[in-house]
Amino acid sequence: MGVYAISGASSGIGAKAKELLIERGNQVVNIDLKDGDICVNLASEEGRKEAVEKLNQMCPDGLDGIICNAGVSGACGNLPLIVSLNYFGTIALATGAYDLLKKKQGSCVVTASNTISQGAGRMDIADLLNNIGDEKRILKLVSQMDSSNLSVGNSLYVSTKYALARWVRRVSSTWAANGVRINAIAPGNVNTAMTATMSTSAKMALNALPIPTKYGQECLMDADEIAEVMIFLASDKARGVNGNVMFVDGGTDALLNSEKVY
Amino acid sequence: MKPIEKYVEAMENKDFAGLAELFSKDGVLSDYCTNSSAQKEYHIYGKEAINMFFRNKFGFRQYSIMEAEVVNDEQAEFIANFGGYNIMAIATVREVTEDGHIRKLTVRPK
Repeated sequence: MGVYAISGASSGIGAKAKELLIERGNQVVNIDLKDGDICVNLASEEGRKEAVEKLNQMCPDGLDGIICNAGVSGACGNLPLIVSLNYFGTIALATGAYDLLKKKQGSCVVTASNTISQGAGRMDIADLLNNIGDEKRILKLVSQMDSSNLSVGNSLYVSTKYALARWVRRVSSTWAANGVRINAIAPGNVNTAMTATMSTSAKMALNALPIPTKYGQECLMDADEIAEVMIFLASDKARGVNGNVMFVDGGTDALLNSEKVY
Repeated sequence: MKPIEKYVEAMENKDFAGLAELFSKDGVLSDYCTNSSAQKEYHIYGKEAINMFFRNKFGFRQYSIMEAEVVNDEQAEFIANFGGYNIMAIATVREVTEDGHIRKLTVRPK
């Protein structure tokens, strides 16, 4: 059985993925701010460094897979955190685990979001993230935005997730040529602690994002619907899948963007 | 009221559920106006999809119509607004079922 690492596995989708992997006989290292096997803040440079160091100590023979899942929503009210954790924290963890993945020809799965296809992101921010990658300067820019405006937080969230998915696509060829597959997953809105604590207006916005497989039910997706696909992508069963952004949203993307077949 | 009049009324009132009910189970709404606004066109198949699609678009203020005028038994003109981008559009009811539901409706730039 395999050795996996998951960031953000103390709750939500990450916790479900951890539970399913352990049920199937795998070892899982949870990297999270609280209640993790490695407790670090991936929004900070120090936390990212510590996470990679401890991961190397705990898994010296390598990793079969890593699921970079930790993130915050656009409604968290902390714009710099959205950028630092969702984008820079994820990439630092994935690249930091690359050598461990190489040892076992492992696979990386990054959590993006199905919102990336809905045009709500700021492409200038996504371009700065992917093409410049200067965290300090981008944080300075972001700190001047209106954090009290929900749509600003949402567009920044979408920008980070869009940039993440694009980063996955960009690095995927070379990673695969070195034996490490990398894919992104684009979940729809899921019942998690993150969505449960959202404001009423944020919840109304969620409900206006229809989930065809949940038609008429006024409910969000279950964490295990996402986690099962994460595990599939991280597993050898998906050995032919690389550089893919897989939408696991009950068909929201197909509904809103049926003409985008590629 | 004729189907085209009901369509205009539902669109003006942002009544996504009422709009969907105008369509047959296999009804199709095709909107080609968005090509002008750098978005891809919409082809929405089935009444449930129409319900969900317009719930989203109305909810996020990404689609509205104004200055609508029914010009004949099958067509209506209006200014369509796609998230701030205005296009003069003409909607045409192309096919109606025996029980009066819309099977095919197209919206094109005028």
